[in-house]
Amino acid sequence: MMEGTVGLIGYLKQGEAIMLRQTFEREMQRLQDELLVLGSMVEHAITDSVEALKKRDLEWSRQLVADDRLINEKRFQIEADVLTLIATQQPIAGDLRVLASTLEIAAELERMGDYAKGIANINLMIGEEPLIKPLIDIPRMAAKAREMLHRALDAFVRRDIEAARAIPVEDDEVDNLYNQVYRELITLILANPKNIDQANHLLWAAHNLERTADRVTNICERTIFTVTGQMAEIGKEHSGYRLG
Amino acid sequence: MMKEKASHATRLEPSPFGEEVQLKRNLAARHRAGAIWHALFLLALIIGIIALTALIYNILDQTFGLVAVEVKVPPHELAQDGVPLEDLSTEQLIALLEARVSKGVLRRLKAEQPLEQRDREDLLSLVYERVVQPKIVRSWSLTDSLLRRRSVEMEVAQKYPSAQLQFRSWLNPHFVSQPQSSDPQVAGVRTAILGSLWTIAITILVAFPLGVGAAIYLEEYAADNALNRLIQTNINNLAGVPSIIYGMLGLAIFVRALEPLTSGALVGGVADPTTANGRTILSAGLTLALLVLPLLIVNAQEAIRAVPNSLREAGYALGASKWQVIRDHVLPNALPGILTGTILSISRAMGETAPLIVVGASTYIVYDPHGPFSKFTTLPVQIYQWTARPQQEFRNIAAAAIVVLLVLLLSLNAAAIIMRNRFSRRLV
Amino acid sequence: MIRLNFELPSLTLGKSAALDASNPSAEEDSYALEVRNLSVYYDSFRAVKDINLKLPKRKITAFIGPSGCGKSTLLRTFNRMNDLIPGVRVEGEVLFNGYNLYAPGVDAVEVRRRIGMVFQKPNPFPKSIYENIAWGARINGYRGNMDELVEQTLRQAALWDEVKDKLHQSGLSLSGGQQQRLCIARAIAIKPEIILMDEPASALDPISTLKIEELMRQLAEKYTIVVVTHNMQQAARISDYTAFLMMDEDRAGYLVEYGTTAQIFTNPREKATEDYITGRFG
Repeated sequence: MMEGTVGLIGYLKQGEAIMLRQTFEREMQRLQDELLVLGSMVEHAITDSVEALKKRDLEWSRQLVADDRLINEKRFQIEADVLTLIATQQPIAGDLRVLASTLEIAAELERMGDYAKGIANINLMIGEEPLIKPLIDIPRMAAKAREMLHRALDAFVRRDIEAARAIPVEDDEVDNLYNQVYRELITLILANPKNIDQANHLLWAAHNLERTADRVTNICERTIFTVTGQMAEIGKEHSGYRLG
Repeated sequence: MMKEKASHATRLEPSPFGEEVQLKRNLAARHRAGAIWHALFLLALIIGIIALTALIYNILDQTFGLVAVEVKVPPHELAQDGVPLEDLSTEQLIALLEARVSKGVLRRLKAEQPLEQRDREDLLSLVYERVVQPKIVRSWSLTDSLLRRRSVEMEVAQKYPSAQLQFRSWLNPHFVSQPQSSDPQVAGVRTAILGSLWTIAITILVAFPLGVGAAIYLEEYAADNALNRLIQTNINNLAGVPSIIYGMLGLAIFVRALEPLTSGALVGGVADPTTANGRTILSAGLTLALLVLPLLIVNAQEAIRAVPNSLREAGYALGASKWQVIRDHVLPNALPGILTGTILSISRAMGETAPLIVVGASTYIVYDPHGPFSKFTTLPVQIYQWTARPQQEFRNIAAAAIVVLLVLLLSLNAAAIIMRNRFSRRLV
Repeated sequence: MIRLNFELPSLTLGKSAALDASNPSAEEDSYALEVRNLSVYYDSFRAVKDINLKLPKRKITAFIGPSGCGKSTLLRTFNRMNDLIPGVRVEGEVLFNGYNLYAPGVDAVEVRRRIGMVFQKPNPFPKSIYENIAWGARINGYRGNMDELVEQTLRQAALWDEVKDKLHQSGLSLSGGQQQRLCIARAIAIKPEIILMDEPASALDPISTLKIEELMRQLAEKYTIVVVTHNMQQAARISDYTAFLMMDEDRAGYLVEYGTTAQIFTNPREKATEDYITGRFG
């Protein structure tokens, strides 16, 4: 259960039949569910786009490009809901921070969706050409990024700042994989300049995944802000700005 | 620099409330004015209390006091063989009466009840009444009795050598329980009390439903038009009409015009030996009802108006009809106020004298009223008649009757107030 | 099909000659009230003019607007409460289930039985809590089990747990917020179809206000609620639809804008609405 809700119920004397602002609580819950749906859509998009690339399934990639529209729509819907809630329910304090963070996280997720779309487009650009190398590290990056995103959203929902602080550290793993992919592709280019085109595309895909993982960090920062009111980059909390 | 500028500015623009000193002086003046008014209000209250105290003092002063009593036969002469009169046996008392009372009186007494069947108390009082025959020759006020006892005693010794000085309460059980008499010593107010109670009962029975009904109509039903405003104004004015006018109205309508009804002739079966014609309790009650009706209506209207409109709206909003709202909300909530008005009206009716005299209260009546078609007298009428007598003793019993009237009034009011409070408690 | 019944023009059956002027179409079925060209006059002064509105069933519609814009007057036309004020005249139609409340032959008493009302100041009867609920039912001829009705009604009004041990104490012994919920309970005890609320929380503290609001949301699952409020935030919080009224130069109230609450509070079409809800006017 959300911390904010616990606070409200705690305020009430025992036996009072009406829970205050039940409707608002329900709306907040619904909004959070919607955010998780968006997160889930993005998670799938990340791994699916890489899977399609790996399997050279152009039809799938085309579908993924088209499906990005759904992610964008979901984001706009969440944004509209947040604005309506702000306009009609006068959220303050914790509620206000949750809504502000929801807005931000939805935007981050939508960007991640764009990165996945980018990877799907790369598959289409590579076209019928065979791959210059078997894809091993890139799917690993995708799996890692997806897993981080999943845990970051989970941490947000649970208001778990410990987890939110721990997840960004794992970004190094993705960065390392990216460096490895980078070196491999450079080696392939040096070995055969014909590979430049495709290597460049694959590097772009890896870069997108690396950026995705970076954005997970932003989500974790929003979680910390939601709970503490502290606005700072993780690891540099002392230099941040504190709400209030 | 800035400071200088600021102080300069204040000097240029003086406060509209004046300087500090002026403010203090002004404040002191306001407090002084307040204190003066405070004192005036207190004075008004004190004057009121003094007036009331004087009234009560005046009454009580007459109700109790010393009396000089002369007896025809001193009780000690009636003692037999050293046994005082009070301790004589029944047989001895009968013998005493047979010996000392004239034949004619004795025959009448025996006709009422044979002496042998009477108890000792009765016989003893008969001896006092018929043989000892005490007579009050002079009475003094309570003040004189308490403060000038010595000079009173000297006066008795000089003027009434055979009289005995006694302290007498003119208000006593005998006074309350005995009927009217021409002898102030034995006269009582029972007839008058019963007359008053009968009259008031009829007044309440007639005036209360009529008054409340009219008030409900005027407040809840009547449209705000010229006719109803005229009626309203007239009711307000009627409340201020002198009571004697109502007496004349009562005489004309109830005693004269409606005589067949008010004398009981129409109802039949009324064989009143006193033949009151129309001058009955019913006429008196109806006249007083007429008298208090405007007062009652106005008071009931106030009470109904005081019921918050929000209650009516609440009732209507639940789909109630007008009568349901009035019956279940307006009336129960107005009732305490209506009862207060009724208490005031009844107190007024209770003390009315003039209209009853006009309607035809009996001046001398010894029979208890036994129904609405009886002749009647009431306490205030009785008091009025007694105070008109020259003898000091009548003034004494008039004072005692006033005390009775006040007690009766207070107990009626107390009953009404208890009833009212029960209603208000149940409702809130 | 048409059954004549002159004695009791029943609004639900709606088969009496007076009320059967028009047959409601399916589209109108989703509306609890439809206001057509409604104007209300106090003697010669027009307080409300040319209102056209359709209030959806089982939704909360809020009337907002500056003081004196006629929103309460408008509300009171919906259960003919204005009939009680001398000199009030209504022009236009208020259709309830498709039948005009102001058609000749419609009994205002029956209208109020079907369209209940809750007032600004809590006004429980100075009677017991039980009697406050039971009275309305009794006078309307309720024949069922009164104890059950009272309990069920108080439960619906989320008041049962607070008062079940003191049903025979005076309704006035309750706190202000409880009194107002008692008034709401009293209104739903006679099973109306619509509940009109005239600033129901304006005399209450914030916590009591929130409880009333929550109760209104719960009741909206069963009843159509129309609420007048001068508290815009409250209108935003509780209502599904919002109507904004304003005064024109003749001080007559008119409808400026009507739409879903989300639309009115995030993207009003009219500048006047925006100025009012953002506090720049009014």
